Amino acid sequence: MNASQFGRRISPLLACIGLLCVWQAGALALKTDSFPTALEAIRAIPSILGDHESLLNILDSLRRMAIGFGLAALVSIPLGLMMGRIRAVASLCNPLLMIVYPVPKAALMPVIMLWLGVGDVSKTLVIFLGVSIPIIYHSFQGAKAVEEKMVWSGAAMGLSGFQRMFRIVLPAALPEILAGCRTGLVLALITMVTSEMIARQNGAGNILFNALDMAQYDTVFAMIIVIGALGIIFDAAFEKLRRALVRWSEPRFDMPLSFS
Amino acid sequence: MSVVPLRPGVQAEPSAHAKPVAMIEIDRVSQMFETSGRRSHLALSDISLSIEDGAFVSILGPSGCGKSTLLYIVGGFVMPTAGVAKVKGRAITGPGPDRGPVFQEFALFPWKNVLGNVMYGLRQQGVKRAEAEAQSRRLIEMVGLKGYESFYPKELSGGMKQRVAIARTLAYHPEVLLMDEPFGALDAHTRTRLQNDLLNIWERDRKTVLFVTHSVDEAVFLSDKVVVMTRSPGRIKEIVDIDLPRPRRRADLLLDPHYQKYVVDIEKLIDDVLEDELHP
Amino acid sequence: MNARLVSTDIILGIIPIALVIALWQGLVSFGYAPVALLPPPGSVFARLAQQLVNPGFLHDIGATLLRLFAGFGIAVVLGVALGLAAAVSPGVNAVVRPMVRVLAPLPKVALYPAMLLLLGFDHASKITLVTADALFPILLSAYYGASMVEQKLVWSAMAAGTPRSQILFKVVLPAALPSILTGCRIGLVISCIVVFLAEMITSTDGLGHELVAAARTFQTVDMFVPLITISLLGLILNGLLHGLRTYLLRGFPEV
Repeated sequence: MNASQFGRRISPLLACIGLLCVWQAGALALKTDSFPTALEAIRAIPSILGDHESLLNILDSLRRMAIGFGLAALVSIPLGLMMGRIRAVASLCNPLLMIVYPVPKAALMPVIMLWLGVGDVSKTLVIFLGVSIPIIYHSFQGAKAVEEKMVWSGAAMGLSGFQRMFRIVLPAALPEILAGCRTGLVLALITMVTSEMIARQNGAGNILFNALDMAQYDTVFAMIIVIGALGIIFDAAFEKLRRALVRWSEPRFDMPLSFS
Repeated sequence: MSVVPLRPGVQAEPSAHAKPVAMIEIDRVSQMFETSGRRSHLALSDISLSIEDGAFVSILGPSGCGKSTLLYIVGGFVMPTAGVAKVKGRAITGPGPDRGPVFQEFALFPWKNVLGNVMYGLRQQGVKRAEAEAQSRRLIEMVGLKGYESFYPKELSGGMKQRVAIARTLAYHPEVLLMDEPFGALDAHTRTRLQNDLLNIWERDRKTVLFVTHSVDEAVFLSDKVVVMTRSPGRIKEIVDIDLPRPRRRADLLLDPHYQKYVVDIEKLIDDVLEDELHP
Repeated sequence: MNARLVSTDIILGIIPIALVIALWQGLVSFGYAPVALLPPPGSVFARLAQQLVNPGFLHDIGATLLRLFAGFGIAVVLGVALGLAAAVSPGVNAVVRPMVRVLAPLPKVALYPAMLLLLGFDHASKITLVTADALFPILLSAYYGASMVEQKLVWSAMAAGTPRSQILFKVVLPAALPSILTGCRIGLVISCIVVFLAEMITSTDGLGHELVAAARTFQTVDMFVPLITISLLGLILNGLLHGLRTYLLRGFPEV
């Protein structure tokens, strides 16, 4: 590893430290109770992670997130690929997706809670809905961009429609699909926090907003660091996986696209 | 040493002993490119070439011989690793409106229509809008695109795009035209027509033209001089003077034995270049 | 694409939407879902029509739109400026790149409590959250658009006498426009989503607040109305942006 590669690898870490320094300086300058310094917030982290109940809460959140994300990937990728290759499927689904797109999925929480209660099912469903759209969209774009002649070659070699989809379209669209999954992963985290904040029962979002209500500002900021770190770690881990899977493809977005 | 304000991209250099200087003077120019890791690639090695005012000179060679790089150096887009390139006796330090490029990729501004593209350079020189528009309209007519002024590049065929690109460059009256495989992306028929039209335009004011191509008959048909290059490293193999009468017409030349001999001789030179690479 | 294909598209597109509404109506009519939990579509749309002329509800829409536009506008200006600067200046790039790597995957909603504590419960904290979420897709698309500008466009402009200082505005910005507008489109949808969420968390007005207020009193009809309104707003804004895009990119080849 040469110096510039080392610099590139360490620069996000430097950025983290820089941001924490800005925070520390800002907090010292403002001197209000509601804005603890970075050091105070970091000191509060062990007491959250050390607490058995809080830890279980966070693990509950992560379980819901994993199930919601997994189910969404399982449903959305095939749907997106079909939309990309079969025109009628795209015409069927596109307008409905357009209508659903600007609706905040977490905002469906109060309605879904009425039907399915405040438990795991509602929250997982909301995560599922939130993650689906970017994955569908990216799979759709990826499948649409697959070179027609590649599919023709497959047909000439005697592959059936299903085989062409699985053996040609899926791998060719994989870079785009994974870009969608990456966005979806951050979205899953965001929807998880928001859903728990609306249905205050348990989970990481619940700890965060309960602490806010009870004016435990150290805990609020410590939880922000914990959730933020989860986001960064998941993203970095997924990026590693993505690179391993699509080594052959040209890197395009090597910075993550995230939105809620 | 007094520094005289000059056109952008050209360094001041006192030329006390006034002797007729070449339009373009390439003096022992080398160009090295960093490739991945520590390996570097010598694209041009010790090239010297002099082009007098009003000459039509083609650079010919197999792909990767650095012929485009040489053109970019004269354009001021790329700085040579060693040696100097001069225009009218002054060292080139950057692009300037005295040297107008025409690229194979057209490089038209997609957000401007035909008129806007052609006017761009004139407006940049500070010419008033009405005057720039009048001049541009005349040029558009000259390249045969009257009636297409408000079209956007995407609505034009490849040949028409290249006509716009040529008009855009001619508009700001460069003294040297730098053409980088300008007809390389066009079909054979369009190519022939544009070659004829380019010669017609050129014969009116005889600007200096540096023309990069990999087509032997294009080079012979258009040029006064053909520079044949080798590759890895890029060197000048031979300079062939094309002594054919002007104005030239393609249909007449094709049967001309002198023309045919030039083409065959240069084909042989290129063949030697490729042969030497395989069996050095 | 010919007219017949387009009209087939429209018909096919209406089918699933009609099916959803039919299913909704069916669930209510055949008694599978009690009206208290799932009001019939007719009464929801009637309520929507009624609310759209109600000054109180219009005030909520206005508050939501104000925050949305302010947040989105700041994100566009900031995102395009930073994205272009990072693309043309290695110095800016060295700072912006790692910052984006860290901040982009951060779930911004989790920062909302901090914004509340620092900026108060009024507009400022909500606008900041919208900006924080919409910024990154716009910044990234501006960055990629500007880094992908064809070298020879820049060369052509320089040869025509454009000084280096003007290249950014005369060539790089217009050439990156298609990519920037794609980023803006994503940013706009995000803004719709985020402003609604922020209003749900803490607010005294806005569409998100309407939903929460209705949920507290179990007014199911009133819960559906803000959801449909935000969806309609999203569609309208998206349509407007699409129109602007078509106008601005009239010279560019289709993508």
